Amino acid sequence: MKALYKKYEMLSAYVDNELSDADRKKLEEELKFSKELQEKLAELKKLKQLTFSSVKSVEENPFFETRLAAAMRIKNPWYTKIRKLAPVLSIVAVSIILMVVLKYNPQIINRILEQQRSNISAFYKENLKPLLFTADLTNEDIFNFAFYHQLPLDNKKHQYLQFGSDNNGKQYFEIKKAGLAEGNNNLEKFIKGLNLNEKQQGQMDSILASYAADLQSQVLVNKKNTVAINPNIWNYNKALTADLISFATKANKKEMEKVLPPGFEHYYNNKSLAQMVSRVKSSTNKRYIFFTPDSIFSEPFNFNKDEFKKEMQQWSKEFKKNMKELSKNLNNLDFTVNLDDNFAKLKKDSAWAKDFKVFFDSNYCMVHIPNIIIPPIVVPGMGDLSAHLDSLTKLMKDYSFNIPELGKHKNYHFKYFYHDSSKGLNFNFKAFGFDSAFNSKNHKMDSLFYSRFKNRNFHFNPDSMASLFRSFRSDSTNINQQRSLQKEMQEFQKEMENFRKEMENLQKELRKNVPQPETKKPVII
Amino acid sequence: MKIKKKKKELLYPQILNLDDDFSLIKRFIDGDQSTFNTLVQRHKEKVRNIIYLTIGNHDLVDDIAQEVFLTIYKNLHNFRFESQFTTWLYRITVNKCKDHLRKIKIRNIFSPIKDTEEELSYYPHPEESEVREIVQKAISKLPEKLRVPLLLKDIEGLSYQEIAESVQCEIGTVKSRIFRAREGLRDILKPYAQELM
Repeated sequence: MKALYKKYEMLSAYVDNELSDADRKKLEEELKFSKELQEKLAELKKLKQLTFSSVKSVEENPFFETRLAAAMRIKNPWYTKIRKLAPVLSIVAVSIILMVVLKYNPQIINRILEQQRSNISAFYKENLKPLLFTADLTNEDIFNFAFYHQLPLDNKKHQYLQFGSDNNGKQYFEIKKAGLAEGNNNLEKFIKGLNLNEKQQGQMDSILASYAADLQSQVLVNKKNTVAINPNIWNYNKALTADLISFATKANKKEMEKVLPPGFEHYYNNKSLAQMVSRVKSSTNKRYIFFTPDSIFSEPFNFNKDEFKKEMQQWSKEFKKNMKELSKNLNNLDFTVNLDDNFAKLKKDSAWAKDFKVFFDSNYCMVHIPNIIIPPIVVPGMGDLSAHLDSLTKLMKDYSFNIPELGKHKNYHFKYFYHDSSKGLNFNFKAFGFDSAFNSKNHKMDSLFYSRFKNRNFHFNPDSMASLFRSFRSDSTNINQQRSLQKEMQEFQKEMENFRKEMENLQKELRKNVPQPETKKPVII
Repeated sequence: MKIKKKKKELLYPQILNLDDDFSLIKRFIDGDQSTFNTLVQRHKEKVRNIIYLTIGNHDLVDDIAQEVFLTIYKNLHNFRFESQFTTWLYRITVNKCKDHLRKIKIRNIFSPIKDTEEELSYYPHPEESEVREIVQKAISKLPEKLRVPLLLKDIEGLSYQEIAESVQCEIGTVKSRIFRAREGLRDILKPYAQELM
């Protein structure tokens, strides 16, 4: 296989005319007897020819030499070489600076990191407040903390602090999103189960309240979602549980066993617990575990309980003072309403006076906006419309009427009564048919009535046998249209007459030219 | 008559001798800058063709050719006359092309991934494309170290010796690479055997 490959390689060199004379002769001898080699040679020749014919030479560029000459004339300044090395040089420079700095100040990185860390911790330590204050813990919550190891972290009770211990007895706590369902009323059930009287209930409440006060400094929170927990809280939990159990045992030992949740049996008659309670209360562990959105770290933190108390008292005083001032102001409410002139005038309007109402109270001011009355729109029916149109058409001034056939009558009398005029309009035609017949257009009109007909002409067409009488407004285009139409018609008639005459003449000429049919002579027998 | 003929015979070799690459370079070294233009005119097309064949991009040919001749211009004083001028010239040309291809490779690492469309459309349907186009694309598919010797041989007609000096390797390697290039080309063109025959 390898030999064949070498042979093919030689064939390729043979195609390129790159073999020595001896090798070429040897190969040519072999080619004569090997069909396989002949086929391969043909293939290689074909490939060489394909390669040669496939690749075009690059087009000539007449400006190449000019461009090259120009480029040769440009002498690159020294800094162009440095610019090429800029990335490398900058890395080298930074490395050297770092080396020098670290040599003379080896702690700088640690210090920077430390500074950064303290900045972060200071940021998250800011404005830490006791959980009791922010989460608004109730006695029920404290009770649940004792027996169910849960403590809500916000007043909406979305997050809980869950205490627990693993199989090896190691204690832990975690922040969970869901806690005990609301409305369990474990404390109430506990009190009822023990049949505690009022005095005992008071005692129970005071125990819970005292632990609540102590718990204040154990769990701290702020608005930056930081939760700082003192690990001592576990001991507080145990002390509280022990206190509650010892109290309950004293109050009602019989019922106690029924009411107590399972897992607390070892607390019965445990004398060491009493010692632990006193030890827990006196301990001063200032190292907190901080849960922040970025990280979890442990650092000493001094929560000054007294300062916080003072702060709260100060705040309470201020709150009370503010409330007092506020209530004073509320008692002496003084409103001044200024109305401008235009608005004052509106007061006279009965609608405003009736409907515009303002209510003042210690807490609010309410204004009733008057009702807007939209008048009803009466849409006329079709019957009313046609009647209205009829009355309007009566007012139209153009009119026409037929005069009956003249016949034997020679005198005509027209009377026109106008509804708002005392006098009518009379037309008398005695000699009908004359052009000058209609001269009485202003006949017997009173002055008022005349003004109505001032721009009006009456026309009478005597040729039409007086069958139509019309009045037109002088500004109407109707007259012109009529006249132009008449003219056109007259011209058309003339043309038609001419055409008729021409046709008659043509007919005559044609008759002349028509050859007379030959009359056959009678055959004489 | 005989004397005249002899004079002519003497004149031509002298002119040819003055006009070859070595003579021109000698004159350049002696201070005749104009001889460089003659060298450029004589070899520019070959250089441009090699660049085009190696890179396959028409637009960059002149820029790289300019770089080649500028390098020659700056280093021509140090030419040692040990090998042919063309050998040196082609080696510089091939090296410049390699530099450019390397730059493109680095640039591609930092540029977003190319759409595969180009790859898919690499082999057009034979009915729609010409034979030359198919072969051209098949050649460009070959790896650079096989493609360059093949093109220098089949297109530019350089000898194995010249190619070996240009790409800085042994003659045997050139022989082997050219054969491998042809075998690769044959494999790529297999689907189009009917169209190409």
